[in-house]
Amino acid sequence: MNNFTVMLKKEFVQMVREYKIIWLPLVFLFLGMTQPIISYHLPSILEALGGSEGIIIDPSMAAQSGGEVLATTLASQFDQLGLIIIIVSLMGIVQSDKSNGMLAFILTRPVKVGSYIGGKLVSNYLFIALSVAIGYVASYFYVQFLFTSIPLADLLTALIFYLVWVLFIVGFTTMISTIFNGQGIIALISIVFLIFCRMIVGLSPIIDSINPASMSHYAMEVLIIGSINKGVIFSGLASILLTIFTLSITNHWITKKKFSNEQ
Amino acid sequence: MRLEIRNVTKTFKEKTAVNQFSMELQSGECVGLIGPNGAGKSTLIKVISDILDPTEGEVLLDGKKISLMKREVGYLPQYPNFYSWMTAKETLSFMGQLSGIKKEELTEAIPKILNKVGLSGEENSKVGTFSGGMKQRLGIAQALLHKPALIVMDEPVSALDPVGRREVLNIIEEIKKETTILLSTHILGDAEEICERFVIIKNGKKIEDTTLTELLNKNSQNKLNIEMATKNLQWIQVIEKEEYVKDVEVIGNKVKVEVENIQLNKNMLLSSALSHNVDIAKFEIDNDTLEEIFLKLVVAK
Repeated sequence: MNNFTVMLKKEFVQMVREYKIIWLPLVFLFLGMTQPIISYHLPSILEALGGSEGIIIDPSMAAQSGGEVLATTLASQFDQLGLIIIIVSLMGIVQSDKSNGMLAFILTRPVKVGSYIGGKLVSNYLFIALSVAIGYVASYFYVQFLFTSIPLADLLTALIFYLVWVLFIVGFTTMISTIFNGQGIIALISIVFLIFCRMIVGLSPIIDSINPASMSHYAMEVLIIGSINKGVIFSGLASILLTIFTLSITNHWITKKKFSNEQ
Repeated sequence: MRLEIRNVTKTFKEKTAVNQFSMELQSGECVGLIGPNGAGKSTLIKVISDILDPTEGEVLLDGKKISLMKREVGYLPQYPNFYSWMTAKETLSFMGQLSGIKKEELTEAIPKILNKVGLSGEENSKVGTFSGGMKQRLGIAQALLHKPALIVMDEPVSALDPVGRREVLNIIEEIKKETTILLSTHILGDAEEICERFVIIKNGKKIEDTTLTELLNKNSQNKLNIEMATKNLQWIQVIEKEEYVKDVEVIGNKVKVEVENIQLNKNMLLSSALSHNVDIAKFEIDNDTLEEIFLKLVVAK
C-alpha cells in the first residue's frame, strides 16, 4: 500500500469516527428537499399568511417546470448555505494538522507532500461530491413528484458541471487552510471569495470564461433550457486549471515548510 | 550509520536559533544535547529530523541528505500529538505504513513494540484518553517501529512526572543497546543516566562536546572530602604538615583536603588517617556534580 492510499484510508476512517459521514449528506439531503417543497407550497403559504387583499399570486408561478425548480435548488440552496457548509467542513483540512503538529510529524516519515495533499483532496472531494449528489437526487425526486420530470441526460450533465465547481471549492479551501492558521480567517476568506465568484457570474462573458462559479450557472442552464452552453468547455478547463494551480500552491507551501517557520 | 551536521545555521527573522553548529555521530553512540531553555536544542533537533530547513549548512546521514534518508530516522517530538480518534494500534499502523512497512509485518511487529514500551493491553484504547507518559511511550514505539538506524528525541522526559520519567528512561536505556540515539534535554540527571557523550549548546553555539568522565575529570580540583564520626584534631594537625597537602579546610566534622595529585595522594591520606585511628564516616573525591559543571559552563562562557 503506498502512502497515498494510507492517507486516503485514514481520511475516510476519520470521517466515520467524527460522524461527518452522517451529518454532511444529511445537510445536503435537507437542503435538496427544501427548495421543491417550498416552491410547491409557496402559493398556499402566501395565501395563508399574507391576507387576501393586495396580493396577487402570479399564475405562472404554479407552472414552474421541474428543471427550473432543480436549478433553483443549486442556486439558492447549494450555492449559498451549501457552499458555506462545505467550507466549514473543510476549513480544518490542513490547518488542524498544522496546529497539532501532525503535519510536521507525518512529514518526518518518508511521505511525499503530493501523497499527503492528494489523499486529503481525493477523499474529501469524493465525499463532498457524494453528499451533493445525494441532496441533488433527493431534490430531483421531490421535483419529479411535485412538478414536471427532467430528462435523465440533462440531470446527469448538470450534476457533472456542478461538481466541477465543487472541485474548485475544495481545492481553494484546501489552499487557504494551508496558508492561514486561524479557522475563522480561513472560513471568512473562503466564504467571501467563493460567494463573490458566484455573484459575479453573468456580469461579463470574459470573466465567466475563467470563473469556476460559472459552471454552476451552466448546470442551471442545462436544467432550465435543456441545452449546453458552448462556454462550458472553456470554463470547465479554466476551473480544472485553477484547481491545479491552488493545489500546486498548497504543495509548494508545505514543501517549503512555510507552515512551521514560527519557532 | 554516521550522522554529520555541518555548519548548520537557522535564523528566524532576526533571531539566530542555531549558529554554525557542527558535530558528528557514529553508530551505537548515545548523545545528549544539553542546554538551557532557548538555547536552540529544539530547533536543531527539528533541522536534524527535516522538519525545518537550515538557513545554512546541511545534515547528512551516511553521506546523503537527511531528507532522502527519512526511513532511517525515528523521530520523537517534544509533545507527541497523535490523532485522538485513533487507537494506539491504529496510530502505529498508520505511522508504520507511512514509513513503508508492509501490513503483514506490522500485525506482527505492533504487539511486540507495544509490549516493549509497556502499553500492551492498551492497543485498542483511543489515544485521546492517554496520559502524557503513555503518549510519550506511544511516541517512542512509533519512533522504533521501522527499526531506524538513528533515533532523534526532543526532550523525551522533560514533561513527565517522576513515575513517567522513570518508565521512559528505562525504555531508552533498553533501546540504546540496539540503535544510535540523539536526545535533547535540559535535565542533566537524565542525560547523565543514559548518555555517554554530551554536547552542550548555548545561544545556538556548541560550547562543549565531551564524555561524562572527561567532563568530571577536567573539572575536579584535587580535593578530598573526609567526614569523621568524631573529630580528630590531632590527625588534622598532622596532615597539615604533610608535604603533598596544600590546604586543609575544617567544617564541623568534615575536612576538605586539597592535595597535589589526587591519584597519587589519595591513598597516602587514607593510610595516614587509618594509622591515626580516625573514625572515618566518609572518604571521597570532591567532584563537582554535572549540574555544577553545567552551570559553570553555561553561565560563564
